[in-house]
Amino acid sequence: MLSPADFIVSEINAGIFMLDREYRVLLWNRFMAHHSGLESEAAIGRNLFELFPELPQKWLVKKIDSVFVLKNFAFTSWEQRPYLFRFQHNRPITGGIDYMRQNFTFMPMRDESGEVEAVVVTLLDATDSAIYQTMMQGAMQKLEESSNRDGLTGVFNRRYIDARIFDEIQRIQRYQAVPFSVVLLDLDHFKRINDTYGHLAGDEVLREVARRVQPGLREPDVFGRYGGEEFILILPQTDIEGARAAAERIRFAIGSETIVSGDEHIAVTASLGVAEFAPPFATAAEVTQAADEALYQSKHAGRNRVSVYVAQQSKVG
Amino acid sequence: MNDQLLLTPDQRDALQEVTNIAMGQAGAQLAQILEVFVQLSVPRINITESANIAGNILQLVGTPQSVTAIRQAFSGTLRGEAMVVYDENGCRDLADLMGYEDDIDRDSERELLLDVGNVLVGACLNGIAELLQAKLSFSAPTIMAENVEVGRLINPQQLTWNYALLVEVHFTLEVRDFTCHLMTLMPEESIVALKSALDAFMENF
Repeated sequence: MLSPADFIVSEINAGIFMLDREYRVLLWNRFMAHHSGLESEAAIGRNLFELFPELPQKWLVKKIDSVFVLKNFAFTSWEQRPYLFRFQHNRPITGGIDYMRQNFTFMPMRDESGEVEAVVVTLLDATDSAIYQTMMQGAMQKLEESSNRDGLTGVFNRRYIDARIFDEIQRIQRYQAVPFSVVLLDLDHFKRINDTYGHLAGDEVLREVARRVQPGLREPDVFGRYGGEEFILILPQTDIEGARAAAERIRFAIGSETIVSGDEHIAVTASLGVAEFAPPFATAAEVTQAADEALYQSKHAGRNRVSVYVAQQSKVG
Repeated sequence: MNDQLLLTPDQRDALQEVTNIAMGQAGAQLAQILEVFVQLSVPRINITESANIAGNILQLVGTPQSVTAIRQAFSGTLRGEAMVVYDENGCRDLADLMGYEDDIDRDSERELLLDVGNVLVGACLNGIAELLQAKLSFSAPTIMAENVEVGRLINPQQLTWNYALLVEVHFTLEVRDFTCHLMTLMPEESIVALKSALDAFMENF
């Protein structure tokens, strides 16, 4: 009959094995046998790296040697190294990961003189933690994503847009990259739409405008709602002429057809202002302010048009 | 501060002596593992108040620039946590010495920080424990902070102890551009245990 200690080592639901200085297996518990398909009689006396050629030998040898030399514990975590042995895990259906995630502890076993005669290795199955962590990271990512979005239209919100303008400016200053342009877009007479057709219709107009703008965007462009009926578009690596052309296309896409809300057909137009981030601009506020001035010109000149910000000559006297 | 926590001059000398011997052994063992010559500084020993810990660490590490650190708990006769603080270059230079092949990615780099940290902590603390006939076991090291200012490594508001013993050693490798700091922190009750271990050590010599 097994002693309690032998029984525990044999039957515990964790891997336990033991190696000598030549990496020969001295002990191989049932968990190891069960998961590796290698019975303890077949493993004992054999070199671990011959039994499992897929192990990262150079690194693992260093690790085991350090336990012998330093008489010290050593560890590996699934977070950095997901597994050493290609073992099946117990979530074959719901797991969504390939092999059992494994945490190892390497322990020096000393003889009576204090020298390390063997290294005892324990393997803990960390698959469940790994799955929970993956789920949590997914949730965090969704949270992050939703905190960047405007709730009504689904396009980016002001917070995100401001951060992206800041990033663009940093990029330009760091790499002397090609400047970007900003387009500000304001729906014409939006208050009248709300008053005439009601707020639900107004919301539908905002959603539809956001939908109409997006097909014309390039991959790096960033489009968002800047507040109320105002939208903003960041065009990386685009000069003022390119931005003007993009703004014209957007103006056309918005005004080309009436927007249907219930039984109503609502005619919608937009005024746009375009500015390029170029010297002397140095901040996000300056370039959006310039786009806003251009937008004001569009409104002033009769709406449903695009205006471009032109830097004014500094006044003399 | 409670006088019980103060080391007597004899105890302080003994601790200095024990850590010096232990570091000497640690250096030799590390050289064997890393196959390069390792230089260890004379250990600096301080009792620190939790409110001042950030400032103390900053003073010991001596640079305000961003660092990465790992932490590892030890328990047994003495209980506490060891931290290894790496400068911006981390220990990527040591990848080949620790058995990593090719270029290493972010996870391998983290693992390397943990591996090197574990080796340094083990080499030093096991040496001290052995001389003091203390028994120690270690739990797995974890990343404590990545690329933070030294002053922000520890948030004093989260600490549950008032005083701790802080032992600092720094390592340099002659051939590589590598340096790091090992800091061992033991809270009040461990200081008391350490004091009696030091007394026993002195009686035996």
